[in-house]
Amino acid sequence: MELPETTQLHLLQPGQRGTIIRIHGQSALRRRFAEMGIIKGETILIERNAPLGDPVEYFIKGYHLALRKEEAAQIEVALKKDSNG
Amino acid sequence: MNTPSRTFFRLDYGGKLERAIARLMAGFDENDFDAGRYPRRWLAIKLLEADADILSRVQEMPNGAQVIALAGQNAEYLKSMLGDEVDLLTADRRYGYINGVVRQALQRPLIDRITLTDRIDDIVTHKWLGLPFFFAIMYVIFRLVIDVSAPFLDWTDMVINGPVAHLFSFLLDLAAAPAWMHFLVVEGIVAGVGGVLVFVPGLLILYFFLALLEDSGYMSRAAFVMDRFMRIVGLHGKSFIPMILGFGCAVPAIYATRTIASRRDRILTALLVPLMSCSARLPVYVVFGLAFFGARAGTVIWAMYALGILVAMLAGMVFTRTILKPDVSSAFVLELPPYRQPALKSVLIHMWENTREFVRKAGTTILFASLVMWLLLNLPWGVDHQRDSYFGKVSGMIAPAFAPLGFGNWQTSGALVTGFMAKEIVVSTMSQVYLRGEEVQSTAPLSFGAEVLNMGGGFVTAAIDSGRILLSILPGVDLVPADQAPDDTALSLALQTQFTPLSALSMLVFVLLYVPCAATLGAIKHEFGTSWALTSAVYQTAVAWLAAFLIFQGGRLLGFG
Repeated sequence: MELPETTQLHLLQPGQRGTIIRIHGQSALRRRFAEMGIIKGETILIERNAPLGDPVEYFIKGYHLALRKEEAAQIEVALKKDSNG
Repeated sequence: MNTPSRTFFRLDYGGKLERAIARLMAGFDENDFDAGRYPRRWLAIKLLEADADILSRVQEMPNGAQVIALAGQNAEYLKSMLGDEVDLLTADRRYGYINGVVRQALQRPLIDRITLTDRIDDIVTHKWLGLPFFFAIMYVIFRLVIDVSAPFLDWTDMVINGPVAHLFSFLLDLAAAPAWMHFLVVEGIVAGVGGVLVFVPGLLILYFFLALLEDSGYMSRAAFVMDRFMRIVGLHGKSFIPMILGFGCAVPAIYATRTIASRRDRILTALLVPLMSCSARLPVYVVFGLAFFGARAGTVIWAMYALGILVAMLAGMVFTRTILKPDVSSAFVLELPPYRQPALKSVLIHMWENTREFVRKAGTTILFASLVMWLLLNLPWGVDHQRDSYFGKVSGMIAPAFAPLGFGNWQTSGALVTGFMAKEIVVSTMSQVYLRGEEVQSTAPLSFGAEVLNMGGGFVTAAIDSGRILLSILPGVDLVPADQAPDDTALSLALQTQFTPLSALSMLVFVLLYVPCAATLGAIKHEFGTSWALTSAVYQTAVAWLAAFLIFQGGRLLGFG
């Protein structure tokens, strides 16, 4: 298995796309993520920051989702090459 | 023993997981564990996933502990083999299966369309426009709930105290009821019910707009926009709406917390909402402000609002670190759904059901409290001075507790006790006890027919007034005549003999912060149970006492008053 260079989700900029590699954090939080479709292998698009910079709106599995940066930091992603930024 | 076999859909979780599930199910039998009402396979999967709720339930069942230990070993083994917690592995498999089905059944356009939702979101969550838009929406809703309902509120009050009270009075006379019963029914029960019903117009309007916000999809955008700000106090973005409503009336504000998903966040919001200075407290500020601070009255009133917000922020920080620590349910994982046109029927149902529930549940608490208050004021039977009633005795008994705050007389403590029913009553009680010569003016009784006509006319007037207020919300339109300044000169003079500016300030701070009114506590009890209602009453009274103490004693040390 190739090991792409990974980063944390909250470090990506609006317009960038990432593939979810791994999810960290407490199991209750990870279960919550899983319920919302945030799982390994999904592609997630960073849409926009809230007016005060946090939370951030994402696009995943065909719907829009807002996460605080604090929680997004638990999601490890590989930046997709085709995304700008 | 076995459940009858039906052909259920069964998801294949793959070799290692399936083997662990089978081992655990075999372990149920080896340990003489009866899964009871739970399907065995489902229970085995939940135990491997270490679902907290299921673990605690199984722990209670016979031989549950052994089975949990066995599940733990299997989960550990799976984690070491597959590199992930079981709940994530199962979620993976489920989504894998769903993706497969979706791929077979659904064709998506290749290019992402820019939807209407995207275009609306470009404005309402815009970096610069998002916050102004949110505040504009809040302003309009606040004005609608508080101001537009006001004429209907007055009308409800008029109907209850006029035709309804007279009707009961008439019926009791027919039945030749004794005077005390007459008095109890008309002034105790009917007035108490009226105290519940006056909230109804405002609540109907509130629920209408909350349902509109929620069903249209804007509510989650509001939470998205405000979350960063509310987090300072340990709250969720959605807590902002109840907080704003709290400046009008805490009762609808407490019910507005229903839009918040996490119970912990709802409770914290409900504990802080009563610190937003509600409109019922304003008359108290105005009377004291004009009597003691003259030209500076405006500043003092403004300071009360600011102090309420400040105390709420401090209290929020304290609660977040003590009895209401954030849990995972407060994690901000929020779907921003596509905008939809709300269905009128669902909005109306929502509005009706919530209001009906308020009348039923919180209403009983309010009614009970107002009956107790009425009894205290009128017993022993036949008292003609409040000082001699049980109310006066109780007030006199607790008065010393207020001495260190600068207002240890029975009149003030009595006014504060009646303020528990509704804070604006503090002023009317004070005028009663300080200016007891003043007679309650009674208007000539109207015939019943004339009253019914009045009632209809009053409703029309209320509708017109609220329509005017509605229009005046638009910038530049002003159809509402300015209120005449309250002419309470006699009360002002009486107050000046009893208070110094310093003790008046201490009194105002106390009124701002002390125990939420009976209706608010009724709402908290209804929503979160008696212990949270008690928590609210106790912590606010303690904070109020402490704050007033610091102001009065601190002021004296600095040489004021």
